[in-house]
Amino acid sequence: MSWIFGGKKQEQQPQQAPVEDNRQATNRLGFDPSQISDVSTILGSVGVDPTRLHPLAGLDKEIEFLDLDEEKLATLEGTGNGLLPSRGWTDDLCYGAGSVYVSGLAFGGLRGFSEGLKHLPVGKVDPVTNEVRAVPFKLKLNTILNQVTKHGPHMGNSAGVLAIMYNLIDSSLDNLRGKHDDLNSLAAGALSGALFKSSSGVKPMGYSAGVMTLAAAAWCGFKKYLI
Amino acid sequence: MSTPEADHSRDPCPIVILNDFGGAFSMGVIGGCVWHGIKGFRNSPYGERRIGAISAIKARAPVVGGNFGTWGGLFSFYDCSIKAIRKREDAWNAIIAGFCVGGSLAIRGGPRHTFNSAVTCACVLGVFEGVGMMFQRYMAWANKPVAMPIPDQPQSAPLGA
Repeated sequence: MSWIFGGKKQEQQPQQAPVEDNRQATNRLGFDPSQISDVSTILGSVGVDPTRLHPLAGLDKEIEFLDLDEEKLATLEGTGNGLLPSRGWTDDLCYGAGSVYVSGLAFGGLRGFSEGLKHLPVGKVDPVTNEVRAVPFKLKLNTILNQVTKHGPHMGNSAGVLAIMYNLIDSSLDNLRGKHDDLNSLAAGALSGALFKSSSGVKPMGYSAGVMTLAAAAWCGFKKYLI
Repeated sequence: MSTPEADHSRDPCPIVILNDFGGAFSMGVIGGCVWHGIKGFRNSPYGERRIGAISAIKARAPVVGGNFGTWGGLFSFYDCSIKAIRKREDAWNAIIAGFCVGGSLAIRGGPRHTFNSAVTCACVLGVFEGVGMMFQRYMAWANKPVAMPIPDQPQSAPLGA
């Protein structure tokens, strides 16, 4: 769990006093250092304890020392104020795209659900008996599911692509400027919005850039004041 | 966090679903840009090749990304659920998760289609896991620890304090 509470503390054992008499050394090491003639004297003694090889190795603890390097958090100035601690731009990209896609999918799915409810098939009038034939439940369900699967992924895809562009530009700006601040977020929002609508003219580009800048500003404010 | 077989380079379970989802989606979008860019370029008439590539990317790359993302996210979701239920991490988790993903994605095609798709997916994941395990064994065999030779000859000069 060290990824959520920050890096782990590395305790160091106090240095042994360099000068000690032979008896102390014999007690500690299991052999007398002044009587050594070859290596097998050391290896044959009982005092060799692997946990004392290196204090940092932490061999008496769990296996977690192996992943000290894997769990290193991002070191850029200004990082670490997000919802989750980040290990670098890949984490930002994956979490950003994932969460935005899922929220877009949910939002679009809800919209599709309401569209489907609006356009439910109505029963036909039977020409022989003049009665209204009830629409089977399966047909109604299919209508709603079709609308959900039409609107949900569409909105999710657009939102996810926007999030990818935003995060890529944001990380590039962070690395160019050497720090992670709100200005980068706003610029990344504007650029990604403009790029998203770049094939449909200047005016939509401007609108989309404005909306994305606002969204980036909202995200920055959320990070700053609500967390 | 004390199981030695756990993968410590990934985040813990409920939150890793978002990470996998986003990773798979990004991979799909970027790969889809390359794939459909080339396809749109080649399938457009001369003079409209660049615009054809761009419109193909716009129309198709997010869809590829969405398909990848759905697959990866669902897989991660099932993987986490199965881990929580079985309380262990082994190759069967991936295979069962693959079965569930294949079934879920084909659920609207009727029970027969659902089952076939689930079994296909489980087989594919089984092959992946098998190849991964073989590779792991090979790596373990290739990098196996070698015992240090013990020198018997007395050193020329005694190590001393």
